[in-house]
Amino acid sequence: MKAKALFLATTAVLGFASAAAAQTEIHLINCGAAADPQNPLQEEHAKAWEAENPDYSVVFEYVPWGSCQERAITLASAGDPVAASYMGSRVLKQLAESDLIIPFDLTEEELGTYEDSVLSTVMFDGEVWGLPRAFSTKALYWNKGLFEEAGLDMPDGPQTWEDVVTAAKAITENTDAAGIGLPAADFDNTMHEWLNWLYSNGGEVINADGEIVFDSPEVVETLQLYGDLADYTEEGPLAYDRGKLEPLFAEEAIGMYTNGGWGRNTAGDIDYGITLIPSGPSGDHGTLLITDSLVVFKGSGVEEATLDLITYMTAPEQQSAFDIAGGWTPIRQTMDTENLVAEDPSWEPFVISVPTGGPEPLLYDYVAMQDVINEAIQSVLTGEVSAEEAAAEAQSELEDLNE
Amino acid sequence: MKKIDYFPYLLLIPAFALTVTIVAWPLFETFRLSFTNASMRPSWKYVGIDNYVEIFEDDFWEVIRLTFLWMTCSVALKIICGTFGAVLLNAAIPGRALFRVLIMPPWIVPIAVGVFIWAWMYNGQFGMISGVMQRLGLIDGPLEFLAFGNTAFLATVITDVWIGTPMVALYLLAAMQSIPTELHEAAWTDGASRFYRFRRITLPLIAPAMATMALLSAIWTFNSFDIIWILTEGGPRGSTTTMIIDTYKTAISRFRYGEGAARAVMILICLSAFAGVYLALLSRLSKRGTA
Repeated sequence: MKAKALFLATTAVLGFASAAAAQTEIHLINCGAAADPQNPLQEEHAKAWEAENPDYSVVFEYVPWGSCQERAITLASAGDPVAASYMGSRVLKQLAESDLIIPFDLTEEELGTYEDSVLSTVMFDGEVWGLPRAFSTKALYWNKGLFEEAGLDMPDGPQTWEDVVTAAKAITENTDAAGIGLPAADFDNTMHEWLNWLYSNGGEVINADGEIVFDSPEVVETLQLYGDLADYTEEGPLAYDRGKLEPLFAEEAIGMYTNGGWGRNTAGDIDYGITLIPSGPSGDHGTLLITDSLVVFKGSGVEEATLDLITYMTAPEQQSAFDIAGGWTPIRQTMDTENLVAEDPSWEPFVISVPTGGPEPLLYDYVAMQDVINEAIQSVLTGEVSAEEAAAEAQSELEDLNE
Repeated sequence: MKKIDYFPYLLLIPAFALTVTIVAWPLFETFRLSFTNASMRPSWKYVGIDNYVEIFEDDFWEVIRLTFLWMTCSVALKIICGTFGAVLLNAAIPGRALFRVLIMPPWIVPIAVGVFIWAWMYNGQFGMISGVMQRLGLIDGPLEFLAFGNTAFLATVITDVWIGTPMVALYLLAAMQSIPTELHEAAWTDGASRFYRFRRITLPLIAPAMATMALLSAIWTFNSFDIIWILTEGGPRGSTTTMIIDTYKTAISRFRYGEGAARAVMILICLSAFAGVYLALLSRLSKRGTA
């Protein structure tokens, strides 16, 4: 009897093992942690896809934000790509030109569920190179209590740059907090947050003809804004990226800062308002549109199945649930997203700014461009050079990169 | 005619194959890559010494200067603190064994964990160091150590010293314990003070160990990546960008593999010089030992 039971158990184990071995693995690199609020949902979606495609098993590898993109690209460059990866859309052009990723084939109807401005972040040369996964617009968070304590009468928060400087000065001088939190570390969101202000001043880094236009009055004014705010920021802004400002805002150590919709989850129980990025002297409220995408690498051997998986995971219903769980600005138009502002008015500044937002400037060597712009921002913020000098120097360096 | 015994050579084949696979071949590839314009693009070509010319046009001298400064400060402090620690641990005091255990944590705690703790302590708003300095009246408001070039540089050195000192101390302690006690006893009988005995007996006899440790420490510190990367990622504004950080940023963050390989070759040249000095020192010490 014992021998029979042992035989049956062994057969069952071997049976399961060989069934598992028969499945082809789809390896997907995801930025962040498995515990991030949207990720369990994503895994549920993948399981639903697996149920319809029993020949495949999806394996998620979670890699911290700082290194996940580099890991996926390094593997692909070395000829050992994962099936798919989460990726900042800014590198899609570089990946596509390097022949490392393959495009998606979407119908007109599917394309129509994306805002044009969103689609522009992943589409070039007539192809869609990644499916937008996370989308962010930015707004200004302002602490109502600190505004009141500083004697400021701005019921809707600052609406212009003049308001911002006035408020930052008043808060710094009349409360224990710094007026505004500015990220200025050697990190991507130093440039990103600054671009919000640039786009609210009608400026751009690269024009429609692909020319560098950094040495412009709009850019100089935006750099000067940082110079004007330098005395009212948190201590040592060069040590802060945007994520590090979140606890400062929650602790009421800064009166204002810019962030995406997820900032509402980290603001704690303070009394705060959210408003559009204030308008500059030469422009109107704007925002930087950033998408992160899921891309499919060439050469994994499971390209077709992965394209199908990613298309399924980013279908309107699944994507909408993913956006809401993660606090991302909705990417695709669904009933959920249409009702979003009515159900939660705090979404309004993040949603209404989408049509007028601007995409990230794209050069082949994106990181080098980011370094040049960050250097301009930091040198003005530390008072080393004037805004005019910083813009002129960066213009020259960016032109070299654009050759 | 003498018959050649091939058997010993056969036994060497696995070790030889392993060395070729994990040392020689990657080294050769790095050299080869350094003469190409390899990037993310599938095609590449040989560009001669262009990468080497380019890196020296890119303020690389400043990176080299910073690297040697960082290494010198860090190694010097580690040797000073390590020697001081070894003397204390060698003292005949009750509970000496306990102190020898207590010095270990910085060395045995995973580096990333230790560095994250330091990163929090350096934080101006919530960090302990800024808080204590404010309470003592040394500074008016919060000081963000990692935001300014000089303080960030100092912060990375201090963290590296904290992690590296226990090993130096234990190594020098072992050297001190090998000194015959008769020498100290004789000097003590002659009325030599504690400091005099240290200066004239301990220090000369542990000097070879100190030199060896300093060289090894220089090699490890020169190559140190994780401490700086976790604390500052080479910032602010390049003030903690050492050669290894610069190489990583070029090759991995910017995907300029050819240029990154050229930088890696420069590191290899520097480390080879250290290794040469180390081997020469070992050879001299070994000759002295057999003389």
